[in-house]
Amino acid sequence: MKQGSDERMQDSIVLQMNGVSKIIKGKSIVDKLTFDIRKGEIVGLLGPNGAGKTTTIRMMTGLIRMSEGDVIVQGHSVKSDFNKAIGHIGAIIENPEFYSYMTGLDNLKQYQRMTDNIEAGRIDEVVELVGLQEAMNKKVKAYSLGMRQRLGIAQALLNRPKLLILDEPTNGLDPAGIREMRDYMRRIAEVEGISILISSHLLTEIEQICHRAIVIQNGKLVTVTAIGGEQETAADVKLTIRVGSVESAINILEGLEYAELLSMDSARSEVTINLHDSKVPELVSTFSNKGVGIYRIAENKQSLEEDFLKWTGGNRIA
Amino acid sequence: MRSFNNLVVNEWLKLSKKRTFFVPYLILILISMLLGYIVHSASPDMFGSAYDFSAMMLLSQGIGQVITILAIIGTAGIVSKEYSQGTIKFLLIRARSRTAILASKYAVVLIYAFSVAVVGMLAVFASGALWFGLSGGEAGIREMLTSIMYNSVSTVVYTTLAFMIGILTTSTGVTIGATMFMLMIDKLVIFREFYKYVLFPNLNLAAYEGGGAPMPGMTLTFSLVMLVLYTAVFLLIGFSVFRRRDVA
Repeated sequence: MKQGSDERMQDSIVLQMNGVSKIIKGKSIVDKLTFDIRKGEIVGLLGPNGAGKTTTIRMMTGLIRMSEGDVIVQGHSVKSDFNKAIGHIGAIIENPEFYSYMTGLDNLKQYQRMTDNIEAGRIDEVVELVGLQEAMNKKVKAYSLGMRQRLGIAQALLNRPKLLILDEPTNGLDPAGIREMRDYMRRIAEVEGISILISSHLLTEIEQICHRAIVIQNGKLVTVTAIGGEQETAADVKLTIRVGSVESAINILEGLEYAELLSMDSARSEVTINLHDSKVPELVSTFSNKGVGIYRIAENKQSLEEDFLKWTGGNRIA
Repeated sequence: MRSFNNLVVNEWLKLSKKRTFFVPYLILILISMLLGYIVHSASPDMFGSAYDFSAMMLLSQGIGQVITILAIIGTAGIVSKEYSQGTIKFLLIRARSRTAILASKYAVVLIYAFSVAVVGMLAVFASGALWFGLSGGEAGIREMLTSIMYNSVSTVVYTTLAFMIGILTTSTGVTIGATMFMLMIDKLVIFREFYKYVLFPNLNLAAYEGGGAPMPGMTLTFSLVMLVLYTAVFLLIGFSVFRRRDVA
């Protein structure tokens, strides 16, 4: 029985980092990194500049040799069975660079010729997915950065990868481009059903799109954390409430056992309290029954940024 | 095999889709015509026929050298430009070994050098036919082909050298500069025993014509063995560096 469930666990893992290190001149750039990426999840690789994010990604894709450890992709070792392992990966590493004197289509054909078992229709499919149909016959040098990013994604999806690796995908894009990129990533995860690894130092980006974040610093794994939903429902929440009268609100709160007053701001007429999730409706009705008007309720989420600074030791983020 | 052919097609397209692709061929045609005109107007009886003219001019002292230079310039960037333009990253994250990718590049270097040599030969012959006619003279088509063959040997060795330098330096400019420098000094002969083991005198295969030698004590077989050895070493260094290098 147990063996069966272990196997299922193995099946759902797309990429496995097994104690991967990169040592250059006696110094560990990446130090014994171990983590998994599971099927269908979007994972963020977070770290301050110089933490080893790019080195890690380059080792996953075979651009840089590993000093120790191995990366297993769908059961194939990047070290000893590179062609099979890389066949399940699509990647954009740093900026997408193309042969600028060729058209977008000619560039994609280059990569199609280097991939086994893809039919000609696949190019049309990925081009449509990223919405570049109109630009396919234009030379890449006439593309905007956003268009090149999209061509980069099309290139990465050509071989129907199980894992898409994007290194700083929103680097240099304007806000509209960043949003567009995010939409593409969501759509790809849905339409193609693949896992995505995104490295970034833009925390809000990771927060908005990823299911999990892997935080590294100085080449070492700091923490792996789930982002969003599930575990919050049955926990305490921190709320900031704007009320009609701060004094009467405090009077009421002092009489309640389930709510704890954390701070008050009489200038903005706000109180910040901590209470269990299930007690929120009770608090609201208590307030309105006692004639305290409620104008706003906002949740004080601890943002990933605060966590990040905590994990990586404060202001060392560059 | 089909996957390797596809790699070669890719590399050829990367060369031929450039807008400047035809420039070297045009230069070759222009120079050949011009040279024929200059020689003919200086002394109209210098060559008996187009064959005489071609057999002489296709050696590495004449248009042959231009063929070699154009082949070097045309292929110097085949590895280094992938690095400088950053396209190396997309190139190497495919299900193809680095050895196969580099081998396809080397194949295209040879194909390109061959195409330049063929165009050069045709252009020189056409120029000779135009200025000196097709009849008369001593040489025939055999002498002409021998000349282009001698020169092609040195073209292959030099483009292989440039190929290796391109891998080592990842700079197109340095590759062209260094190879051109070697090409300039290769006519220099130092009369010492050790010099016959140096690459340069062995490239002068035409010197063996009529029982001569570039230096005393050298034979055609000796030179051919030396050239094969040098070429093999250039390739060995190039491939092992390319296979092992971290793409940072």
